[in-house]
Amino acid sequence: MRYAMALDYKNCINCKACEVACKEENGVQLGADKHRIWVGVKEIEGEWPNLSIASSTFEPSQCQHCENAPCQEVCPTQATHYAKGGIVMVDADKCILCSYCMEACPYDARYVKDETMTVDKCTFCSDTRLARGETTTACQATCPTKVRTFGDLDDPNSEISQLLKTREHFTLKTHLGTKPKLFYLI
Amino acid sequence: MEVEISRRRFLQGSVALTIVGGTAFSASSLLSAQEEKKEFKVTTKTGLGKADNIPFLCGMCVNKCAGFARVEEGVVTKLNPNPYFPKSRNMLCPRGNAGIQTLYDPDRIKYPLVRIGERGDGKYKRVSWEEAYEAILHGTDKFKGLLQILDEEKDNRATIGYCNGEGLSKEGFEVLMGQKIGTPNYVDEISICLETTLGGYFNTIGAYGEADLNNADYLIIAGANRAEAIITPDTMDMFKRSKGRGLKTIVLDPRFTNTAAKADRWYAINPGTDLAFVLAMTYVVFNENLHNKTFLDKYADGWMDYKNHVLSKGYTPEWAEKITGIQAKEIYKTAREFMGAEHPIYYQGRRSVFSKNDFQLRRAMAIFQALSGNLDKKGGIIFGKKLTLPAEEINAPMYAQVKPRFDKEGIAIPTDKTGSWILFRNMVLEGKNPYPVRAMFMRKHNPMSGVPNTAKTEQFLKKMDLNVMIDILPSDTAMFCDVVLPEASYLERTSPVASYGALEPAIVQRRAAIKPLYESKTPEVIYKELAEKLSKPLWEITKKYDEDVQDDTKDMKPEELEQYYKENGFDLADAWEKPVEETNKERVVEAFGEEAWKILQEKGVYYPDMQKYHKQLNPNEFEYYPENKKNYTTKKDKLKVVVNFKNLAKKGIDPMPTWHDEWNFKVPEGKFRLVTGRHAQFTQSGTTNNMMLRDLIPTNYIWINKRVAKQKGIKFGDMVEVSSKVGKIHLKAYPTEKIAPNQTFLLHGFGGMSKGMEMAYANGGNDAMIIEDAIEPVYGAAAMHTTNVEIRKV
Repeated sequence: MRYAMALDYKNCINCKACEVACKEENGVQLGADKHRIWVGVKEIEGEWPNLSIASSTFEPSQCQHCENAPCQEVCPTQATHYAKGGIVMVDADKCILCSYCMEACPYDARYVKDETMTVDKCTFCSDTRLARGETTTACQATCPTKVRTFGDLDDPNSEISQLLKTREHFTLKTHLGTKPKLFYLI
Repeated sequence: MEVEISRRRFLQGSVALTIVGGTAFSASSLLSAQEEKKEFKVTTKTGLGKADNIPFLCGMCVNKCAGFARVEEGVVTKLNPNPYFPKSRNMLCPRGNAGIQTLYDPDRIKYPLVRIGERGDGKYKRVSWEEAYEAILHGTDKFKGLLQILDEEKDNRATIGYCNGEGLSKEGFEVLMGQKIGTPNYVDEISICLETTLGGYFNTIGAYGEADLNNADYLIIAGANRAEAIITPDTMDMFKRSKGRGLKTIVLDPRFTNTAAKADRWYAINPGTDLAFVLAMTYVVFNENLHNKTFLDKYADGWMDYKNHVLSKGYTPEWAEKITGIQAKEIYKTAREFMGAEHPIYYQGRRSVFSKNDFQLRRAMAIFQALSGNLDKKGGIIFGKKLTLPAEEINAPMYAQVKPRFDKEGIAIPTDKTGSWILFRNMVLEGKNPYPVRAMFMRKHNPMSGVPNTAKTEQFLKKMDLNVMIDILPSDTAMFCDVVLPEASYLERTSPVASYGALEPAIVQRRAAIKPLYESKTPEVIYKELAEKLSKPLWEITKKYDEDVQDDTKDMKPEELEQYYKENGFDLADAWEKPVEETNKERVVEAFGEEAWKILQEKGVYYPDMQKYHKQLNPNEFEYYPENKKNYTTKKDKLKVVVNFKNLAKKGIDPMPTWHDEWNFKVPEGKFRLVTGRHAQFTQSGTTNNMMLRDLIPTNYIWINKRVAKQKGIKFGDMVEVSSKVGKIHLKAYPTEKIAPNQTFLLHGFGGMSKGMEMAYANGGNDAMIIEDAIEPVYGAAAMHTTNVEIRKV
């Protein structure tokens, strides 16, 4: 089992419903810089009224659950580990907040959880929704324009496997060899 | 392909601010002195144990999207989308998700309050519900009661004004104030909202209609920002097919919005000049014979008059270029593409009235849509069908002493039921009211933030002898009220059943997820109890002054009199004899049977054959009705397009859309035209105290063109003063190229002054303080985008 997510990112309208759903589902603390997922926005290019629509894209992102995760490699206490389905998890009991993983992550996907003073990140809702037998993550379920599809890459009949078979896609910072499992559909 | 995505966010300055850290939050509330300090856990991780899933309808904005509230041990831990409602299509937006934070907002009004200080100073005492009702009836040493006011006004019920924000319990408040207590002076939010849009479409194609964006192939969307001002299902349908995926999208907006970011082309139109754009496109269509002549001959009265009118007036794209700022060649291109498309839609839009020509703009848009013939069919503007529920009968008493409403000065088609907020308020302030207006009863409405020119609203409220507010949070307007009643929020109440949709209609019901918190009560219980309290004493006033009642009841024995009182509707509480749950069941069972009621209770949604029709297509999407059961074409031969509306001329209104030079866009050197609007994370002032949403947009900023800001030495985050003829506000600057050098924008709803709302207090600027109170001439609706402002660094 290899859990992954496909993002039909052109659908994204930067409403941030995913971010709120994630926080409410997973009890993520409040605070503008405390979030497991986010929508990346770049400053638009050009001068009014000649603005580049093409430069103004919305790119939802989060932990990529890399198969070759640099965060896991650098963790001195094995707090960061691969859990069932290849989900990259942080064991709060083992984390000593050395923050090597935060430095190592090329996707800037980790933050410090003040309640426990440990590192926190996306879990693909594995300890909430998936643990209850649900098949979608909170961010996927709530998305107004249905950007996200979560599923198992090892199941050839899963929606995500089908999507990746039929739609062109790319991954982020592929050249780093991290083998990320967030796939952006073109 | 490589895309850089970073945790850092560039926009709206969310990088700059962190608001709340820590796991628990306790805030000083309106009643902090009397309230034991409670700790509120701000987010609750959902558990793995037993949970109830209660169907609700969201109350964070007007859409009424459906969801299921996950309730664990009496606590709402998560709001999930409901996959059964065709309107909201299995989604909740950020506000919908953050509804938990409104439910558990530490600043909620927890108890009935009676004013002990001066209006606006926030000094209240906690009272019992009985004491609060008593204060409304008899007043205190600080304010007069309704009984005295009505006695002094000799039972002229029109001395009471009332208003109510949008919502499922709004009709009940209209029943209480309008039908039972009997005042005609309802100032509905429609006159600060989309009145001209509804009116323009209604008077042209018979209804506002629905845009079938799932099947359209070409879309002009002007001044409507569906990526940020979310409307369901339009938002979901639109952006799955934009960006070269079937729905060519042309966006017109003075500023570059998130909707513009999804467009094929964006035209930065000058504010208030959309009508010139539509007229010029109409010119191209008629001049090049691109219109659907067969359709027009069949359905459109007077279209040849309009053709002659538009051509003879010379509304060429070259003419419109000077007014709109959009190049003539682009107007030619867009008009030709639109008429060449198979299923083109000029989106109707919603939101507020932009300018004084807004009614004519909407007429011109509706007619332009008709030129394509793409009405009442798949991929066009459709009319659909509604599922009807049995009407509730109200026994409304007749009061002989009540005087008619007066807010009609200078407007062509005054609406008797809903009125004009600005005109009503201003005429009272200017002493033009033919009888005293002495009390305001308000619910879930915050005119201090919503109605242009806050200074006047404050004066108006101060002029009243009695102000009553029913709400969940102590808004700016509540601070000017004498009695404040705490309402249960939308997750704590079962609301009257409602019918939504047209293409795929459904019945929906909001069920209470938990019991009302603190001492709050559901609106219908408040209406009932207030009616019970007021009924007999007000009846005494009626008997004292109402000659019709006196004639009718002469020589009656007490039992006969009591019977007369009941039979003629003077028993104000008789409209709420049954609780909402019971009335809902009766209405649904009567219309659709017992099985329908069971489904509705469980799923929150019902439509005939739902169990047969409802199918999951993939993990994200559902089919609600099979294709051949969708109501694409319903009007058929009854479709009528009123092009030359001759009777309008009798009212001094152009019978066909016509441009007047006074509407040309002009901004004096050094000033800026103010436009307002929304982000997806906030609705209006009602959501600005929501902690979760405040993480996403910490404050509202004033947008200034980057080059202009540089000249003025204004940098991101600098505090600036924005001033107009009617007021000034201070807020932070956001220099950006997304707006024209002579225009400026701020997000509506911020700048609260109520100290009872800790997160919203003194955060950002309130646009209503600087928007001038201009009205358009048809309905007297507020023209929101006609104010010029100055901006300086402070």
